[in-house]
Parts: sequence; C-alpha cells; structure tokens
Amino acid sequence: MWRATRRFSIFVCSEQGISMIKEFIESVGRYCLFLKMVFRKPEKWRIFWRQLLVESEKLILSSVLLVCVISLFIGGVLVIQIASNIENPFIDRMNVGYMLREILILEFCSTIVALILAGKMGSNISSEIGSMRITDQIDAMDMMGVNSAGFLVLPKIVSATLLSPLLMLLSLAFGLLGGWVVVSLTGIIGPNQYIEGIKYCYNGFYVIYSGFKMALFCFLISSIASFKGYYAKGGSLGVGTASTQAIVTISILILLFDLIVTQLMLY
Amino acid sequence: MIKVEHLYKSFGNTPILQDISIEYLPGKCNMVIGASGSGKTVLLKTLIGLYEPDSGSIWYGTEDLASMTYDQKKKLRQRIGMLFQASALFDFATVIDNIMFPMDFCTSWSRRQKIERARFCLDRVNVRDSDHKYPNELSGGMQKRVGIARAIALNPEFLFCDEPNSGLDPYTSSLIDELISEITKEYNMTTVINTHDMNSIRTIGDNIGFICNGRLLWQGDSGGISSAECPELRKFLRIQ
Repeated sequence: MWRATRRFSIFVCSEQGISMIKEFIESVGRYCLFLKMVFRKPEKWRIFWRQLLVESEKLILSSVLLVCVISLFIGGVLVIQIASNIENPFIDRMNVGYMLREILILEFCSTIVALILAGKMGSNISSEIGSMRITDQIDAMDMMGVNSAGFLVLPKIVSATLLSPLLMLLSLAFGLLGGWVVVSLTGIIGPNQYIEGIKYCYNGFYVIYSGFKMALFCFLISSIASFKGYYAKGGSLGVGTASTQAIVTISILILLFDLIVTQLMLY
Repeated sequence: MIKVEHLYKSFGNTPILQDISIEYLPGKCNMVIGASGSGKTVLLKTLIGLYEPDSGSIWYGTEDLASMTYDQKKKLRQRIGMLFQASALFDFATVIDNIMFPMDFCTSWSRRQKIERARFCLDRVNVRDSDHKYPNELSGGMQKRVGIARAIALNPEFLFCDEPNSGLDPYTSSLIDELISEITKEYNMTTVINTHDMNSIRTIGDNIGFICNGRLLWQGDSGGISSAECPELRKFLRIQ
C-alpha cells in the first residue's frame, strides 16, 4: 500500500503527471465555458422548440425500442437467476418478484440503461457535431451570428435530460413484463406470487431517486458528447477519437456520479 | 472597407501571421494569394473573428473588431457573407432551408418572404429545380453556387471566399469567378478571396496581396503581378 502510494505521488510530481493534471483542469474549465455558451438564451424560441422536437425524436424516441428489448430480456434473465439462488424453503418465493423490482428500480433502469444509452446517444451526438465541426458547418453558423453551441446542443441536453426519466419508467415496465413472461412460461414461481412480490413494500421515493439519476446521467451523456464533438479536430479520425473519448469519459462519470448520488440520496 | 493594422496571430509558439497591414476596398475583388500553409485561411478566419488576433487591429469601416462586445460581433457577422472552401452547407437541411437559415435567425420576415428571397438568391447563382435536394445530392460546383447564394442571402456588405475554385474543373471555376465578380460589383460589396488559382487572379483580381510564411510581401493589382520584383512572389508564380 505504502509503495503504491509512493509510486502514485512520484507520478503526480513527474512532468507527465503535472501535464496530465493541467490538461484535466483545462478540460474542466473548457467544459464549463462550453456550458455557459450552450445555456445562453436562444435567439429565437420558435426555432428552439422546433429543434427540441427534432432532438426528442432523434435521441429519446429512437432509443425506446432498444431500451424495451434489453429490459424485457434482462427482466426475464434476472427472474431465473434470482429464483435459482433462493431454493431455501424458509424464504417466500414472492421475494423473486420483490428482488427483481428493487434491482430494476435501484440500479438497472437508471445506471445500466444509461450506460447502454451512453454508447448509442453519446456516439450519435459526438459524431454528428464532430463532423459538422470538421466540415466548417459550425464555423458557418458562427459566421451568421448564430450561437452554434446553443442551436445545436441546448435542445439535445434539454430533451435528453427531461425525457430520459420516461425511458427509465419504460425500462422498469418492460423489465417487470419480461420477468412475468418468464414466470408464466416456465412456472418457476406462480404468477400470483410474482405479482405479490412486485407490490410488496413499495417505496415511491426509489422511483424518484432512479428518475433523478437517469436525468443526471443523460445530462452528462448529452453535454459531454456534445463538448467532445464540438471541439473535435483532425478530420474523420479526429471525429472517431472524439467519439471514443466521449463514451469512455461518460461511462466513468456515470459510475462515479452513481456512487455520489446514491450516498447522498439513500444514506 | 476593411482595414487591417499590424496583425499578429500564432498557435502556441508557432507564428502564423506576422505584421499584416492591408486595406480591402468596397466594390473590388480583393485577393489574398500564397502557397498552401502560408496563412491565408488563418488571415481570413481572423478577419471574420473566428480566431482572436494576438495583437493588431481590424477595422470594419469605423468599428474596431477587437473592442466589440459579443452582441456587436453578432450584429457585424450578419453583415458578412462567407463562402467556405468545402461550401459548409448544412447536411441536415435542404438547399432552400440552407439559404433560409440565416434569415430564420437574423430577420423577422414571414416564411413567404424568406422563400421568395431564397429563390431570388438561387436564381442569381443559376441554381434551379434543386430547392428540396440535400447538399450530398449536389455536385461540387452546385454546392459552391448554393454556398454563394447562402452567403448573399442577407445582402451582406462584406463577402469572404476561401478558395472558391478548389476541386472544380476550369470551366466551372471560371463561372464561379465571374459570379463572385458580378455580385461584388452589383452590390458594391467588399469581397476578400483566398486563392492560389492564377486564372482567378488574372481575370477578377482587383487588389492582390501576396502572403508568404505569414508575412504580406507584396501588394498590387493583377497588371503588376507579372512584373513584381518580390523574389518570393516570382518563385510562387514560377511554381504555378
């Protein structure tokens, strides 16, 4: 432990470590300035609402199928796994439904779905904005006196943040449905026991907590992917790099914020 | 009129523009020539405020670009049209929507007025029956024309063109040159064109500035270019 700490402190003090820290602080600063640009009042509200509808369709509506299919299958798989792990006759079989509901609400529907969306939404946003950057389309907008960051990014962030809790609810519904389908087809527990388990000890605050997490994660996905795309450089290779960097950064931040939010809201 | 005084610009420790002082006059095709990597595009992007200069000043008439606020710069940019090297048409919009884009943001015209103006601009650049096509369905020459139509949509006082002939065949290239020259005279615009196309320089160049390694080494008209004494310019012309 001591050796690892020593090695870490030597790295931090080295030239490479210092330049990495500097780069990190610079990126955070640039991200804040970028958000300041994004959250300027839209030039024309009519155009903003129109773009909001377009982005909602592109980011949220187009993700519905993916979220539903994944949740349906994971719900089914989780039921089998939970049931196979509680063979004890002293544990009521309705706990399968109860545990599935808790797993889905607390972690799967927000964090895992957000990680899946990070790949889909994140790469979509960063490659779209990145290719606009390298083909001078963003410069062309700036040239016309249009706040390009506001026009391109604000509708994405607003739609992703506000509508993503609906995806979380949809994921929950389809996860439970997947469990019910498996229960009905295999008979590992009775469907009535499953439904009873789902209704057992329901805490509405957990849904709010999960919805809040999902909104926060989708804010991170849309803003970081836009940020990476907006400052992409170096041709199509640069767009690819920006896209990869965006997804890696988003995934790490989702896990970090999951920990922070859980500690703050549940403990 | 645009006046540039002692302009310096560098990226990191690499100087790109060094002590550029030049005047661009209205109603004339002002050309910036030089080899690739000489700093032409950086000069153009600095002139329109996409890059901040390290020092020096850029005057649009009586207004200094450096002392303008964000809103003042936005207003100025609405008086500027720009044709990018690769046209920079918006992929997500059709031809007519591309031309209406600046009108959507900068005017309070009705949709009908905007469509009328967009059609007029498209007619002016001889693009017809392509209103609802997307940029990727157009040829390179057509994209440039639509780019010019979008640049003149708000009837700008200043027009900037970054290598308008790049990637075009000689015939289309000369048509684009003629079009830019006609529009410049017709609307008395201050036009600045970045190019290294000798044909364009000879046919439409009214005021020419030669840039080499970020320095303005020669300035004159198209008549004087072949007899210029500047050795770097002579070398550049021989390369051509």
